[in-house]
Amino acid sequence: MAELQLLDGCTAATEAAIAAGCRFFAGYPMSPFTGLLESMSRRLPQAGGICINAESEIEGVNMALGAAAAGARAATGSCGQGIALMQEAIAEMALNETPVVVFNMARNQQDYFQCTRGGGWGDYRTITLAPKDVPELVEHTQRLFWLAERYRAPVILYGDPILAQTQVGVRIEPRDYGPLPSRDWILDGSGGGTGKSRQVWTWAMGKVTNPGPGPDGQWRAIAEKFDAVAQAEQQSESYLVDEAEIVIVAFGTAALFVTHVVDELRSEGIRAGVFRPITLWPFPGPALREATRNARMVLVYELNAGQMLDDVRQWAYDRDAIRFIGGVSIHTSGLTYGPLLDARVIRQRVLDAGAETGVTT
Amino acid sequence: MTELPVVDTSSPPAEATLAARSHPDLILGEHGLCPGCGEPVALRLLLEVLQDLDVVSRAIGVVGHGCYGSFVQIMDVDVLQCLHGRAPSCATGIKRVRPGSVVFTLQGDGDMVNEGLQEVLHTAARGENVTCVLLNNGVFGDTGGQQTATTVLGQRTKTSLQGRDASTHGYPIAIADLVAALSGVAYVARGAVSTPAAVMHTKKLLRSAFEHQLAGEGFSLVEILTMCPTGWFVPAGDGPGYLEQSMEAEYPLGELALRSRS
Amino acid sequence: MEHQVIVSGIGGQGIQLLCKSLALAATRQGRYAMLAADYGGEMRGGPSQASVVIGDQPLRSLPILPSAGAAILMHHRFGAFAVERLRPDGLLVLNSSIVQPDAANYPGRVISVPVTALAQELGAIQAAGFVMLGAYTQITGIVSAEAIELAMRELLPPYRQQHAETNARAIGLGVRTARELAEVAS
Repeated sequence: MAELQLLDGCTAATEAAIAAGCRFFAGYPMSPFTGLLESMSRRLPQAGGICINAESEIEGVNMALGAAAAGARAATGSCGQGIALMQEAIAEMALNETPVVVFNMARNQQDYFQCTRGGGWGDYRTITLAPKDVPELVEHTQRLFWLAERYRAPVILYGDPILAQTQVGVRIEPRDYGPLPSRDWILDGSGGGTGKSRQVWTWAMGKVTNPGPGPDGQWRAIAEKFDAVAQAEQQSESYLVDEAEIVIVAFGTAALFVTHVVDELRSEGIRAGVFRPITLWPFPGPALREATRNARMVLVYELNAGQMLDDVRQWAYDRDAIRFIGGVSIHTSGLTYGPLLDARVIRQRVLDAGAETGVTT
Repeated sequence: MTELPVVDTSSPPAEATLAARSHPDLILGEHGLCPGCGEPVALRLLLEVLQDLDVVSRAIGVVGHGCYGSFVQIMDVDVLQCLHGRAPSCATGIKRVRPGSVVFTLQGDGDMVNEGLQEVLHTAARGENVTCVLLNNGVFGDTGGQQTATTVLGQRTKTSLQGRDASTHGYPIAIADLVAALSGVAYVARGAVSTPAAVMHTKKLLRSAFEHQLAGEGFSLVEILTMCPTGWFVPAGDGPGYLEQSMEAEYPLGELALRSRS
Repeated sequence: MEHQVIVSGIGGQGIQLLCKSLALAATRQGRYAMLAADYGGEMRGGPSQASVVIGDQPLRSLPILPSAGAAILMHHRFGAFAVERLRPDGLLVLNSSIVQPDAANYPGRVISVPVTALAQELGAIQAAGFVMLGAYTQITGIVSAEAIELAMRELLPPYRQQHAETNARAIGLGVRTARELAEVAS
């Protein structure tokens, strides 16, 4: 068993990425992502990889795209503000089928729409994993490198300042998630002059001597691919939802706090439970539906104006049972969560919401 | 009265067909660009240089967006077609993870000097061992002929109908000069494909650039002035002459002196 | 039961290093630890706070503790949060060189250790945090003083290695002081 190491989320993500075979990283500093860039800068060369402090986010993501197209396990990242700059490139990677892991070490939970709806062009989706703590971040990082290659697509890890800066004892062990498809598409030069040279292109028209599916065929196939991903890759965790009168839906760090509150409420006789989407996309709708089947109230707690709320509205068993108990809450620095991310505050909001239907007094 | 022979025009003459169909191994088919376009000439030179240097089986190209973008379908080398302006960044990623490969970009002036100005400058300053090839015709050909950052003063485009005027449209950017002023740069040259002599000279410049890459000496840029009679609103045959008069004055041909060598 | 302690002081008192040493000491013993820091932008004088959680299983405590079993106050200025979150049956350890025992307004068990004055006696006021850490390990037994010293040495950056011996003496002084205080009390 690997030894315990006391690592913050940025350092843990670096070690996990290296364990998963990542050998190229390019990014631009922005809090709280900066620690990840710095630890990659220190550790990747030690592992035989390359880390470039790119001169802009757009350059960084395109460097990662090139590295991945040439066959390296590549990653980039930023916080949501920088991921905003990368939207075109993320769409490009989805549509030219280049596997890259994108770390959104976000400042809060306000990037849910950015991850799950995307701001690029075309019909594409990005698998997004939202860990609740640093040990899970380690697992998700390794799984994302596998998912990226399994589906030849850009994938996102949704982190936050708590994950980035909290140091936790974790073990980093290599993990095997299963077989991967052939890498016969990568650009290594060997196709040159053979009549069968390779091409990575969103329009996928191929070479005149070896035509490809073209934009219609390519983009329809990719849409079908993401449909298949949506069926195959949903992940969620249901905690004490059987016979729960109140089910609270939360993701990431927020879910950690909600779980604590639920444990407290249960010890006081209040039948509460937690539904935690682990994949923000594909959203685990059917599992949510089952988890909320018997709930009198479905409370949505997220640190934003209501983004996952849209997905809960789509899937909860009873839409009328939904109440939003989250909100925008920002620290005075602007860089992390504000006072709403606190177990006592959450507890009070649950009790207040529950009082409406008499579930809590 | 003299009997004139009737010329059979039901199909091109054999010689023309032969000329159209014979192409270097690395060009897989005919291009679909305008008559008089200089870009296919530049492509052919680039691929011939790769062959002459015997690096075809480790060559990886990154092609931007423009009329030349269609070359990804007819060039028999491994290629990535990338986002407008971003080719030097993609090339960086490729070369860093495959240092034994020979990496080039193929970009128009709109791609490299408009959208991708910071990419090419940063890649040059980092001294990345890649060769960027700029096809400079001073116009956005693919979108119908708008002004770019290299459009020369007086040039008429769809967005500078009376001719580019400094007070309204600002000045053109000589990207090769900017790159030549950066440390980390091994070779910068400017050629043209307007005359047979210019074509031969440009081939030598390309070869020098790739030789610098192979020697690991840093970033190389070859700017190739190409004719765009359609974008310039001149007859196809007038392209070369127009290029010489309008562009070569602004963008003198030859190898540029480098800061890194001074 | 996870061991939870909130440490509060001001920038420049070595709060972060103190907490990291504690968390690392536990990690090196193969136990699960979490260190959640919260500090303002200023390097000196602004708030510096962190919480450390130690347990023998993967931790369930939150990175922002709603309540804690222990708190250490190196300074009173920003200490209200830590004291307010301390459970009634908990333990408050004060740096009595700076913090007055009744200024903390905590009805539960309070132990006062004059760590700043003790550190000054060693000729190293910046080692006050390690005096406190030594005392804390003696009082709670959460990790051994030896483990703290090893963690301290591991954490010192190369340009501060000259402080290792002083810090080690500070830890020892904290341990002995806490032992004497306990003997006096009994």
